[in-house]
Amino acid sequence: MAHDPHPSLTPDDRATAPVTRRAVLWLTSRLALVGGLVGGYGMFAWVSGRFMLPARAGQLHQLFVARAADLGVSDTVLYRTPEGRTVNITRRGNSGTAADFIALSSTCPHLGCQVKWESQNNRYFCPCHNGTFNPDGVATGGPPGEAGQSLPRYTLAVEKGLLYIYVPGEQLSMGDVAGLVETSGPTGPGHDPCLGCTQAREARTRISPEPRVPGPSSSRRPA
Amino acid sequence: MSDVRGWIGQRVPISVDGLAAMSNEPVPYHMKRWWFALGGTPAYLFVVQIVTGVLLAFYYQPAPATAYESVRYITEEAAFGWYLRGLHKWGATLMIAAVVLHQMRVFFTGAYRKPRELNWMIGMTILVCTLLIGFTGYSLVFEQLSYWGATVGANISDTVPVVGPIIKQVLLGGATYNDRTLSRFFILHAAVLPVLLILVLMMHIGLVRLLGVTELKFAGEDAAPVKHFNFFPEHFYTELIIGLTLMILLSVLATLVPVEMGPRANPQITPEVIKPEWFFYVAFRWLKLFSATTAMLTQGLIVFVMFCWPFIDDWLVRRFKYADISVWIGVTGALTIMGLTMWEALVAH
Repeated sequence: MAHDPHPSLTPDDRATAPVTRRAVLWLTSRLALVGGLVGGYGMFAWVSGRFMLPARAGQLHQLFVARAADLGVSDTVLYRTPEGRTVNITRRGNSGTAADFIALSSTCPHLGCQVKWESQNNRYFCPCHNGTFNPDGVATGGPPGEAGQSLPRYTLAVEKGLLYIYVPGEQLSMGDVAGLVETSGPTGPGHDPCLGCTQAREARTRISPEPRVPGPSSSRRPA
Repeated sequence: MSDVRGWIGQRVPISVDGLAAMSNEPVPYHMKRWWFALGGTPAYLFVVQIVTGVLLAFYYQPAPATAYESVRYITEEAAFGWYLRGLHKWGATLMIAAVVLHQMRVFFTGAYRKPRELNWMIGMTILVCTLLIGFTGYSLVFEQLSYWGATVGANISDTVPVVGPIIKQVLLGGATYNDRTLSRFFILHAAVLPVLLILVLMMHIGLVRLLGVTELKFAGEDAAPVKHFNFFPEHFYTELIIGLTLMILLSVLATLVPVEMGPRANPQITPEVIKPEWFFYVAFRWLKLFSATTAMLTQGLIVFVMFCWPFIDDWLVRRFKYADISVWIGVTGALTIMGLTMWEALVAH
């Protein structure tokens, strides 16, 4: 570390003192030290802050919901993901593919209240701030409508007559929480029997080696 | 500005000038040599270990059912988790190396002699604490090697007469590795031992400040009194540069030699090749040379002799009238430790 090149000078003298190689070195070394400290530890603080935020799910898990044949057209079941989120799964067609079904989060994207189906109005309604959504989950009124916040949609698959849902892999250790939920009132379009509740309790969980549907990417160490 | 100082001064009646004078320890000129900054190096690395350890503890779950998965999550999914875990792992390695090198420097320069005998013993406590923190940390991952390392370590302590079985019970929370073991290792690693280390470090640094840094002269230097420079800012700048250099070195190591996940612990199958961390290679090899009880008693005796070395050295010097006798004993000891470590590193069994 270089020392003050003009230790005996007053501030006025310093202003008029000639620029020497020693002075340049003195200034450069201090700038390098300050830059190193701010840059190095600043970067570390940013890395630490980023680390504190839980990782976004990098792996989607394919979970069994019910036998597809057990849901008639316009039937809806309420499904709970391993994270504890609830999803309305409705059958809207009869082609025998995943396109027959739609899975919409039952959590209002505005402030997290649970939406409920209003069959007389053919819409989902959030009682907290009067948010409304059409059967496709698109926001049509209230704060979600103004903000364009539709109900999050989950990807489904039908394989060999069995209906599966893709959900983020967080907290899969809470496995027995996931499954169909027995409900006392309507949860979505059509009637809402607890179809396949027994099968759900015996649900087979399959973990996809790679995300098979588009999803948020994880922060991974580069290979 | 003076108003602000006055306002603070009335509420926090501490003399800034007095503090500056107290903290501005005169540092002997030989400390300009980088080799003599080895005391600050482990202290800096300890701070790195505390910061990264606290961050990792936000995700780590110390139970057999969850420990491995939580470490895998940190390593593979949490943002920069691989980097912070790498810093923690390599920081531990460098910290132990720095403590050992610092101790060797103190030993071979005779800086432990009167009046610094007690500070040498405190330094030995720091070394033992550091090794124990390394051992308990290694066991937390719940990989095959860490699980069996913990099992073997606990069973080794069992061979010590009288207190051994008690130590094993306290360490494992039962007769064998069980559901309570990992949380015990975690508390020891993250709370008990670090707090103990902080206390002995404060004593160590306090005694260095009270007794001053040992003044050394090298061949060719004149007989004039030792020159000094101020701790602040000259030596403080040196420590800042060392800190930045260490962070760069740790970052390079964490990136180029990343910490990865080994196989998950399986209590039914012991791996073919089982090794502790490198700093226990010498003890592990020693155990293969002698029976467990003999090995533990002799190792305990060696550590005891190291603790008491300032007094043993004083007796040896008076007995044999040869001031450098400790140097030759130290060289023999260091070569033996390095030889046994290399031996263990190069063979599978």
